[in-house]
Amino acid sequence: MNGKLEYWVKIPIGPIHPALEEPEKFIITLDGERIINVDVKLGYNLRGLEWISMRRNYIQILYLAERICGICSFSHNHTYSRAVEEMAGIEVPERAEYIRVIIGELERIHSHLLNLGVVGHAIGYDTVLHLSWLARERVMDILEAIGGNRVNYSINTIGGVRRDLEEKHVRAILDMIEYYRNEVMPKIEEIFLYDPTVEARLRDAGVIPKRIAIEYSAQGPTARGSGVKKDVRYNEKLSVYPDLGVKPITPKEFTGVVKGDVFDRMVVRVGELWQSLELIERALDQMPEGKIKAVPKDNALLFQLKKAEGEGIGRYEAPRGELIHYVMGQKGKDIPARWKMREPTFPNLFAIARALVGEQVADVPVAIASIDPCLSCTDRVAVIDANTGRKKVLTERDLLRLSIEKTRELNPNVRAKPEVVGVGCPRGGVL
Amino acid sequence: MNVLYATLGFLGVYAYVSFASLLWGGLDRKLVARMQRRMGPPLLQPFYDFLKLVSKESIIPRDANRFFEIAPVLALATSIALLAYTPLGFEPLFGTKGDVILFIYLLTLIGFLRVLGAVSSGSPYAQIGAQREMIILVSREGPMMLALFTILWRLNELGVTKPFSMGTFYEHNVWELGTPLSLIGTFILLLVFMTWLASEIEVGYFDIPEAETELAEGTMAEYSGRHLALFELANAIKAFVSASLVVAIFFPWGISGYLGLSGISGITVDLLFHTLKVFAVLFVSMSVFRAVTGRLRINQAVGLFWTRLLPAAIVGALLLAIDTLGVIA
Repeated sequence: MNGKLEYWVKIPIGPIHPALEEPEKFIITLDGERIINVDVKLGYNLRGLEWISMRRNYIQILYLAERICGICSFSHNHTYSRAVEEMAGIEVPERAEYIRVIIGELERIHSHLLNLGVVGHAIGYDTVLHLSWLARERVMDILEAIGGNRVNYSINTIGGVRRDLEEKHVRAILDMIEYYRNEVMPKIEEIFLYDPTVEARLRDAGVIPKRIAIEYSAQGPTARGSGVKKDVRYNEKLSVYPDLGVKPITPKEFTGVVKGDVFDRMVVRVGELWQSLELIERALDQMPEGKIKAVPKDNALLFQLKKAEGEGIGRYEAPRGELIHYVMGQKGKDIPARWKMREPTFPNLFAIARALVGEQVADVPVAIASIDPCLSCTDRVAVIDANTGRKKVLTERDLLRLSIEKTRELNPNVRAKPEVVGVGCPRGGVL
Repeated sequence: MNVLYATLGFLGVYAYVSFASLLWGGLDRKLVARMQRRMGPPLLQPFYDFLKLVSKESIIPRDANRFFEIAPVLALATSIALLAYTPLGFEPLFGTKGDVILFIYLLTLIGFLRVLGAVSSGSPYAQIGAQREMIILVSREGPMMLALFTILWRLNELGVTKPFSMGTFYEHNVWELGTPLSLIGTFILLLVFMTWLASEIEVGYFDIPEAETELAEGTMAEYSGRHLALFELANAIKAFVSASLVVAIFFPWGISGYLGLSGISGITVDLLFHTLKVFAVLFVSMSVFRAVTGRLRINQAVGLFWTRLLPAAIVGALLLAIDTLGVIA
């Protein structure tokens, strides 16, 4: 931003662009190849999920939550379940918690392998993409064997899990761990830690310094790549994770330096693959026998939830970072009054947009891919367009008034009168 | 009458090279797919693509000017003209003395026409792609020309009929020099030429102007239909021709002599053998290179040319020339 600009051009990356897996828009102001400003626009993937949830009961929302995103389908309904369990005070059996850990870590493996491939593709290294996705097939097969589906395995239910792990599943998982340890991980390490092309492209690209990571509240591998020791499984002592010895992975343990660039984020992902394999192994070892559901019958569960009232917050370390679900119950109804989630991509996206300023345009795809953005999770707030096609920028006060009106219309029971606090959204002007 | 035969032969060469270069496109995709453990498209996929593109409507952007439509035609015309001066296992059809300079000029012109078409399209992606293509163009020609002219100059010392022509390579080849230093120099120059070839056809490290994931095909972003088909064909021919240059310099041997063939049949056999050699060179410089590397940033690529390739070309050239210069006995 300093110095005079001789010539600049604005190029839109998105909503449809080969570098992006999902619709989002980055308007990039370029001076030659150097980026001088990045503007993020969201809202291309809005499906009105929170609105849909207002006519679904607690059990039905489980399946809606699963379909928020294809990659972290387990994370979403796990976190939602935790929120509802906290609200209704349901105790989850220990075996169910262990099964949740195992499925969650399997999902982390497949998500990280997917992201490693996507980053390879973003730098034009398609062999990495094809081979890492080939390796990913193995864990997808395991998930299919356990849950019946490759993507939406519907393992969770409120107060436990729906499917038990049988002896054959355990054997298959142990086989898979062997396969990843001996055949896949050495190759992945060779590519992402030692390959000259990868190092040339990923080192010093899209640097998020530790201070920015903390200020923008970056999550997951994005934060850990910048050296912030932040992992909900560790910090919050989530479910049975403390017994399994989980620790936040930072690139320091692998390369000895923390730069916060794309390379470091990929190193964190490689480290987490190792960690996930270990966690699964330990969880299989320590898994106790017992029941897997707190309430065996769904209608009994719904009856219990109907009586519940209050708020619940679920937190979980999804592959992309900390995922938070908030559920507010209402007495006498099996429909939550409010269901709201905060995805890790949202803070990460603005952190990476900030980090891109001053970099080259060649770094844009790989930097965006390195936070593993999941826009279908993030987009739930629309900017209101007039019918004329004119874009109307709403201030926080307008938004608040509109949302109060809308809430009254949909749900007359809500009596609260919120007021504007703070100075307003700093990004309100650009949206 | 002689001109007529030459023209007919030229048309034949054009048809053959178009076929062979598109066939290589299919082979390359299949080979790379096998290296990546994929099935890959059918062998004739580039032909299907080409025919499909030709039959499709070409969309012209509102902001484009006339050159947008002219550039692909000129690019294909240039690549056809290039064939008249390309060594294809025998001396070029219209070869004269000094035709190497014309060859390089035409080869560079194709890249320049791509830039012209991209700049005329009015798309910011194409604009950035054009800038990148121009920078790469300037950087890659230096080491290549230095190496090429050194070899030609050195071969002239052995006595040739047409100095600085493509025909030189079929009278003497660079391995005939024989001294240990010149052998080392030749190997270094071979490396320079292979890298240049990879950057000329823009694969692996040098897939920078078209950078699919960064610029959405960069220079080709706005092209579609017939115009894209023309560019695709011109690019395929350019890849074949560039590889032909490398083959002519380093592996010029024909097999018609051993088989005792002459005339038309001899030429045909040499052409087929040359095609095989071109495919072999392209396999190393394109398929394998593409499978084991990713794209560099533009400053890294330019740095590679000026700090690695140019010194390598200078060293190779000096090693080739040193026994003639008489610096050491």
